[in-house]
Amino acid sequence: MTTVSRSIGPWLARRVLGGVLTIGVASVVIYGSLRLVPGDQAATLAGGRRLSAEQVEALRERYGLDDPFLTSYGRWIAGVLRGDLGISTVYQDSVGTLLSSRLGISVALIVYSATLTVLLGLAVALLGAVRGGAVGRFTTALTSGAVATPPFVAAIVLLSVFSVQLGWFPVTGAGEGFLDRLWHLTLPALSMALVAFGVLARVAQASFTEQLRREHVEVARSRGIGTAAIVRRHVVRNSLGPVLTLVGLLVAALFVGTAVVETAYGINGIGSFLVSSVSRQDFPVVQAISLIAVTLFVLMSLVVDLLMPVVDPGVQKERVRA
Amino acid sequence: MRTVHSDAPVVRSTDPAPAPVLSVEGLTLSVRGAAGPVPLLADVSLTVAQGETVGLVGESGSGKSLTVRSAMGMLPSTATTSGRVVVRGTDVLRAGGQALRDLRRSAVSMVFQDPRAAVNPVRRIGDYLTEGLRAAGTPRGQARAEAVALLEKVGLRDPEKAMRQHPYEFSGGMLQRVVIAGALSVRPSLLLADEPTTALDVTTQAEVVALLKDLQAERGMGLVFVTHDLGLAAAVCDRVYVMYAGRIVEQAPSAELFRAPAHPYTAALLEAHPSLHGPRRQLRAIGGRPLALAEAPSGCSFRDRCPQAVDACTEGVPALRRHGDSVAACIRPGRENWT
Repeated sequence: MTTVSRSIGPWLARRVLGGVLTIGVASVVIYGSLRLVPGDQAATLAGGRRLSAEQVEALRERYGLDDPFLTSYGRWIAGVLRGDLGISTVYQDSVGTLLSSRLGISVALIVYSATLTVLLGLAVALLGAVRGGAVGRFTTALTSGAVATPPFVAAIVLLSVFSVQLGWFPVTGAGEGFLDRLWHLTLPALSMALVAFGVLARVAQASFTEQLRREHVEVARSRGIGTAAIVRRHVVRNSLGPVLTLVGLLVAALFVGTAVVETAYGINGIGSFLVSSVSRQDFPVVQAISLIAVTLFVLMSLVVDLLMPVVDPGVQKERVRA
Repeated sequence: MRTVHSDAPVVRSTDPAPAPVLSVEGLTLSVRGAAGPVPLLADVSLTVAQGETVGLVGESGSGKSLTVRSAMGMLPSTATTSGRVVVRGTDVLRAGGQALRDLRRSAVSMVFQDPRAAVNPVRRIGDYLTEGLRAAGTPRGQARAEAVALLEKVGLRDPEKAMRQHPYEFSGGMLQRVVIAGALSVRPSLLLADEPTTALDVTTQAEVVALLKDLQAERGMGLVFVTHDLGLAAAVCDRVYVMYAGRIVEQAPSAELFRAPAHPYTAALLEAHPSLHGPRRQLRAIGGRPLALAEAPSGCSFRDRCPQAVDACTEGVPALRRHGDSVAACIRPGRENWT
């Protein structure tokens, strides 16, 4: 095993460096966006409050607005690397503290939503692929609808039907304790999962269908292997590559999706915080959340790449050779 | 349709062994097409005795793969059939799912054309070999031990290591040995080899054929060898069936087939094939193209391409007629009757 990990060393080094570069470039764009906002940046930072000349001067001093771009960017990114995400202009509190108090509920929502996406997505895909025919066309239509339903529409419909009319689920809030939280987060998680579910089910159904037509599946049948075992060991097993790749991207996309859904369901997490910070032009907060989103995408794709040799042994060989 | 049943006793009398491991009787098969049923096989009859090697030769689309697959009950999903396909007392065409699975786990197995496509690329060789044994209820440890022994038997140098390797780590020839080991794992009484050497290098082909023959002799299995290569079939098989457009047109002992082909199609195939022995001669291609049963003309399917065709060839499908040790579906079997 040590020889294997040593031989993919160069690949891993290149891969990590690429990820760091991606985050680096994104951080420049994110920080630079503050300077692209039209008008006086001090006024933007003040967020419409009337300030004295001394206060404006203090603000310009504090956020380094009179410094060259690279100097102030350097100061910001150095702080970020030390774990200091800056001070919120609205709350006058550390961005790190503000985020960490809201992180838990968002992570719970993402995990719940991702679980629903994977379970429902694979189940529907499997049904469509194995049954085929009319069932296959039905699942394709179902997932097409899911892909075409934006989260805010799903949120409104689910709220009006299950919370307002039927009263099965709470309209707002995040709940206390595990079960109560699960109950509160079910509709938000469903709203968020809908598009991801559709995308995953479509890709998985296509992959399952393709594997079912492969000769190794026919060979397994010719050896008297039962259908359940063939589906598990040949069809699902061989589709894990594309499924895993997609799940990585979808989980990162769910983080972004919390913005709409947390706002719609009145959940005080990272997503709704992003929306309120954008409208109050709380730039340090917006920058921090944007940077976290980019980092999450890079991390997820790295994790997927590291897991890939486990599901597709041929990948390992290519990396060692490359 | 009408012919083989009336001639069936003639066909049977040439069979060398009394208890066949495979017996196909009047198999007729069609699949559903856009414009109604498409016939693929008509009145195919053949037998394979225990320990016998039988060749099934024909061009693409002649129905040889379909015939051999029918012995495992592996038919297209829209197929309708008549006739009987009997393996070890089970009528495969009428067997239910469980009976078919039992048969495939214990009596019949198949070696496929392209080992790269036949073995699941993401799983280990060990998983491939033990899968059939496990399905038949063999305990895990015993299945593993049997798999290692089989790999050794088919000539893999380090069977323990091979068990943990993946298909991409093997050459095509080595992987075909793995597929053969997998086919043997169920201790079949009938082994079906569907163009097992077509995807391999020439030198590897000889090794794989020799391996199949050795294993067959050792285990006394019936072996059906499907190929488009008449020379290879004659070298490997005791008897050869020649198929054309979904029908069997000739059946003969291998030596007889070469010495005195009874059907003009067999003769034409031999002339189209280069030989290392004897005087150099012009290779002669067969005019026209191979036909599927659905596009075959009335009367003898081969008549449009046949240099010996006469007016009478349009009158009905020719019955199988005895000619020496051979049987041929021709109204004038044997070279001495040709012009």
